[in-house]
Amino acid sequence: MTFTIDRRQFLIGTATTLALGAASLNRASAATSIRFLWWGSKERADRTHNAMTLYQSKNPDVSIEGESFGWDNYWTRLATQAAGGNAPDLIQMDYRYIFEYARRGALLDFTPYLDKSLKISDFGQANIDSGKVDGKLYGVNLGVNSSAVMVNTIAWKEAGVDAPTNGTTWDDFAETCAKLTKAKKRRSFYGTADASGLEPAFEGWLRQRGKALYTNDGNLAFDAKDTAGWFDYWSKLREMEACVPADMQALDQQTIETSMISQGKATISFAHSNQFVGYQAINKEKLGMISYPVPADDAKPGQYLKPSMLMSVSATSKNADAAVAFVNFLVEDPDGAKALGVERGVPASEKIRNELTPDLDDLGKEMADYIQMLTPKVGTLPPPPPNGAGENGFFLKKVAEEVAFGKLSTDEGGAKFAEQAAANLKRG
Amino acid sequence: MGNQRTAIAGEPVVRISTLAPRQKFPGALARNAPAYLFLLPWFIGFFGLTLGPALVSLFLSFTDYNLLQPPHLVGLDNYARIATGDDKFISSMKVTLFYVICSVPLKLVFALAVALLLNRGIKGLPVYRAIFYLPSLLGSSVAIAVLWRQLFDSDGVVNTILWQFGIEGPSWISNPNYSLYTLIVLAIWQFGSPMIIFLAGLRQIPIDMYEAASLDGASKTRIFFKITLPLLTPVIFFNAVVQTIDAFKAFTPAYVISSGTGGPIDSTLFYTLYLYQEGFGYFRMGYAAALAWILVIIIAVFTAFSFLSARYWVHYDE
Repeated sequence: MTFTIDRRQFLIGTATTLALGAASLNRASAATSIRFLWWGSKERADRTHNAMTLYQSKNPDVSIEGESFGWDNYWTRLATQAAGGNAPDLIQMDYRYIFEYARRGALLDFTPYLDKSLKISDFGQANIDSGKVDGKLYGVNLGVNSSAVMVNTIAWKEAGVDAPTNGTTWDDFAETCAKLTKAKKRRSFYGTADASGLEPAFEGWLRQRGKALYTNDGNLAFDAKDTAGWFDYWSKLREMEACVPADMQALDQQTIETSMISQGKATISFAHSNQFVGYQAINKEKLGMISYPVPADDAKPGQYLKPSMLMSVSATSKNADAAVAFVNFLVEDPDGAKALGVERGVPASEKIRNELTPDLDDLGKEMADYIQMLTPKVGTLPPPPPNGAGENGFFLKKVAEEVAFGKLSTDEGGAKFAEQAAANLKRG
Repeated sequence: MGNQRTAIAGEPVVRISTLAPRQKFPGALARNAPAYLFLLPWFIGFFGLTLGPALVSLFLSFTDYNLLQPPHLVGLDNYARIATGDDKFISSMKVTLFYVICSVPLKLVFALAVALLLNRGIKGLPVYRAIFYLPSLLGSSVAIAVLWRQLFDSDGVVNTILWQFGIEGPSWISNPNYSLYTLIVLAIWQFGSPMIIFLAGLRQIPIDMYEAASLDGASKTRIFFKITLPLLTPVIFFNAVVQTIDAFKAFTPAYVISSGTGGPIDSTLFYTLYLYQEGFGYFRMGYAAALAWILVIIIAVFTAFSFLSARYWVHYDE
């Protein structure tokens, strides 16, 4: 073979390339094409793709491309794409990050679309407001959830110990978990995961004591003593062998797959109610779900209902109208909502909830029941987390590990966390 | 094969002859035009993907760039913070230095040892060479880091083997006392590329020197220290410099093994991982850019010292 190109071939080649390029440009502008980025498990990806396919079959002029990542990679991906001027049209948003993005002008204000292509008035004011930042609507509630405790019911039966239930006190929780470990039915198997580094669990503990993570004006609403108390509780559990040892807990990367319950190291993990579907999907044994332990009998669990996640549209989207229409399809069209099910939480729309309920599988029903059981006991949604809150979430895990590995006392850990957390907020 | 070569090489010659008479370029440029043409992809890559972004990052290091909003100049604020008030800068630098100081010498010793073994003219040398080189090809890949997780997990392969001997091993990767060592072992395991270079270096040492030495009754150890090692110093120097720079830049293994956290307790928080977290995790791209430039300076200083020290221990054949 010889490698020669004469002028004619070159011209033909160039012309063909240009023609093909032009053709593909035409194709792209004929169909409205939008991109959708979300985080989550495979279960979520399957459901989301179903919803996208359904929408495209109804709207052949729209093509939707989906991309999904795990929680930790998701935020770096989103930040990079947004910085490169290549933000996805549809963005799955979290309550923790919506303020950072909205205030930096990265998100579309939905207010002009309300009651036009976005008909979400049946969400109820609280569920609409959970997507607002500074009075403008940047996120549409994709499902209501709350914190929850996942329980491997089979392991408890096997050990012959009564599992903790809704309203179990923290002290009883420690005792029963220690009993389960002592039953020694499985090799290196413990009552509960160590939740000392898990921000939502810490938040629940604080709220049960009339405190919170952050004040309305974005300062810390707890002090070193509160944090030390929290670390104390878990140190006690570690000593009693009620919870997993430090080097086991360190394997937990705060994802469903690496959680202690999914890894078969403990019978209990602290999570969110909408994740029940995801947890059960990779756990062979039947799981149950209860609310956080409480400080005393009949005390409230300190939990609140929140949007498990929100749908946002990029401020720079060229097809904002189409994107908003698709958001409406996900939350208000029975077909879209059914495709998603309750895997992202219980739908905020009453109409959709009623449509969905008869068709729910057992898992979905359990989740809906959990939210219903919890509703009378919940408190108000906390104020928006200030800048730097995201870093504090990771920082709690680190300090909790330092305490668990015995590098810091519980008092030192409490002081270190409170001090550095305040400094992180200041820096933003 | 031969045909093809002449055809490719022949083609530009024809073009030059058509270009030259028109005097479009000054003489030298015209003569070298084909060379520049062939270098063009590299030039585009170098200016577009290396030099350009590097200059932009230098600019960003003096700003408060947060990825989503236009950057504002903040002068030397970022550098001042690194110098005075950043504990994580110090702790991540310690982790990285420890990693460099442990992994580079061990890796070089290991690579040299294997190269010496392979230099004895064993049968099937190319096969062994390929096998030993393999980890270096796979080394920085995500798959290997995932494999490493499996090996050193609490119920991973290593502990299962220890279990056979009645030892209950810790969870190596999730225990802050051991996690960094698993990464050092991973680095040593990727000894392939320095080994290949050592092997080539060993082949350059004239056989007659060895023959003369053994005729004089020198022991094997003496031969190694008096002939092999001194003549190999230029190669050792090269490997040491390249491996040190690589070790400073290590990112993937720590990122995968700790899921991007640098945990447990920041024990695997490499410098590069820290700057990645700052930039992409916490939206402080300006600060991350400053951190990156500090790393450039540190690597440059290390390399400069290596070159300064070289005159005292590296022997070039005169």
